[in-house]
Amino acid sequence: MKVEFKARRLDLLRMHLDVIREAFKQAVAPDRVTVEYPRERKKYPANFRGIIVFDKDKCISCFRCAHICPANAIQMTFYEKAWPGIDYTKCIFCHFCVDSCPTGALRSTKIHDIAFATMGEMKLNAVQMLKAPELTREDSFTVEYVVDPQGWRLEKKAEIDELALEQFIIPEKRRVSVCVDPESCLGCRLCVELCPNDAISVDRKANKLNILPEKCTGCGICVRNCPMKVLELKEVK
Amino acid sequence: MIEVLIDLIRYFLSILKSNQLDIPLIKPIIALIMKIVAQIPIPYLSNLVDLILAVILWRPLFAVVVMPGLTVLMIYLLYIVWFERKLTARIQWRVGPLEVYRPLRGAIQALADGIRYLFQEAIVHKDAHRPYFVQLPILAFIPVLLPIAFIPAGNVVGIKSPYAVQLTIAFISLIPITVIAIGWASNSRFAFIGSVREALMYVAYEIPFIVAAISMIFLYKSGDPYIIVENQWIPGAILNPLAFLVFLIAMLMATSRLPFEIPEADQEIAFGPFVEYSGILFGLVMVLAYEKLYVMALLFTILFLGGWNGIYISLLGDLNAPIWLTIKTIVVISIIAMVRSMYARYRIDQAIRIGFSWLLAFSMVALAIGVVIGYEGGI
Repeated sequence: MKVEFKARRLDLLRMHLDVIREAFKQAVAPDRVTVEYPRERKKYPANFRGIIVFDKDKCISCFRCAHICPANAIQMTFYEKAWPGIDYTKCIFCHFCVDSCPTGALRSTKIHDIAFATMGEMKLNAVQMLKAPELTREDSFTVEYVVDPQGWRLEKKAEIDELALEQFIIPEKRRVSVCVDPESCLGCRLCVELCPNDAISVDRKANKLNILPEKCTGCGICVRNCPMKVLELKEVK
Repeated sequence: MIEVLIDLIRYFLSILKSNQLDIPLIKPIIALIMKIVAQIPIPYLSNLVDLILAVILWRPLFAVVVMPGLTVLMIYLLYIVWFERKLTARIQWRVGPLEVYRPLRGAIQALADGIRYLFQEAIVHKDAHRPYFVQLPILAFIPVLLPIAFIPAGNVVGIKSPYAVQLTIAFISLIPITVIAIGWASNSRFAFIGSVREALMYVAYEIPFIVAAISMIFLYKSGDPYIIVENQWIPGAILNPLAFLVFLIAMLMATSRLPFEIPEADQEIAFGPFVEYSGILFGLVMVLAYEKLYVMALLFTILFLGGWNGIYISLLGDLNAPIWLTIKTIVVISIIAMVRSMYARYRIDQAIRIGFSWLLAFSMVALAIGVVIGYEGGI
């Protein structure tokens, strides 16, 4: 009993000494990992989800981005075709739209810190999304968190992180809509009305759908809306 | 009439000149100033400048007003508030005050805060005892600042007394009374709780503190700082380490530093006795604990760390002693400031148990050590 008590007292003393040693160590060389943000910029991984830019030439108006958006932040507006516009008050930066885009018309940038003056400005239309927002760079250092067995460190380099857009070339697979089961077709003509490129027409004499492969962009709107699910997207070689 | 006045001034000047600081470093500068002033054709100007310089360099006034007195105290206050915040931030992995003048890493934060206090409205609420509420922060400075007149630094001394250590301890013991009175005058529940806690802490630390100081007086056989410092060819901290420890912990308790920050517990009673203050009145009561710490650290340096003993630089002359005393005091305070970031706050009962159990016991043992060493006449 007496020995135990003694040991506890010694332990307490050792803990006090540990605290004092650690405090002196931290006072001389603190292990802090604070990023002094406007003057230092943290280096993010290459595909870290940032502000989204839009390439109007690649867009086929398939509406997939608007359909998949879990926050309902994408609104399609009609310019030359229906183009997406992102409402950053709602956007949660999940980048499902970027992943779902079949042609790579939506791309991420390396810009993660953009401020808007008003709520109204946060709702971007497609034209505003054509190029990345301009940044005023105040940083002269790049910092990076390094995690190794000793713990966390902050590595500081006197260089400016390049924020230029990297062009990701997405292997494009040209697909067209094909009617695979013409016998089940109801003839409702929903696909004809929905097709943004007027690629589908109905041959009344032969009683079948006529899909022009050169006009079809493979957007899949008809496929998604067909009540009998007789349309399918097929790859073209 | 004017001649009588001039005679009077000459008489004062002769008194001042008889007790001047001897600093070889600034002698050429004074000669240069006098030479420049002599060329300006204004009557009595050179005499006036001579008088001003004589007043500044008069030993008692220099000790009280410049070093280690009020000027150093002001600079120390500006420094310690910033330093404490910055050090705590570093140890706790934060950055601390930074944006008020970034090239100095936020060093003038305390100055900016002080200016803000000065221009802020000092609200006196309806239920406060108005005269006491307004006067007590200023009255509290009497026991805080009077010890500075008695604490000597070599030849530079305000009032020379063989009982300087005892006097300083007596004045330090008066400070909690003003704090309790501040809490009473505030007439608010938090201030009341704070002043009761201050009283509890007062009884917890006061006896070990005084006994530890008395043990050192027994050890040196005198309360005269000159004899104490002269005898310290071995620092008092080594001669009587228990008294050193007790004094250090009592100092933490007395100035409500963090392990014993019970009267001012920010999270519980929102700065305790000072909760109702705002504006410059808050500025005054906030620095009270820091000034108390300064006075206690001066006493600590004299009793345990060899006072103004240090490497003598002949160029500085009489200024050596005040500079060494100030440097040692500031270093002591800077190390004490670190405790704030290391420990959590004790409960009231724990703090009082520490005060009345082993702190008191250690101080009694320290008293015995002091009596034995003093009786043997070892030093």
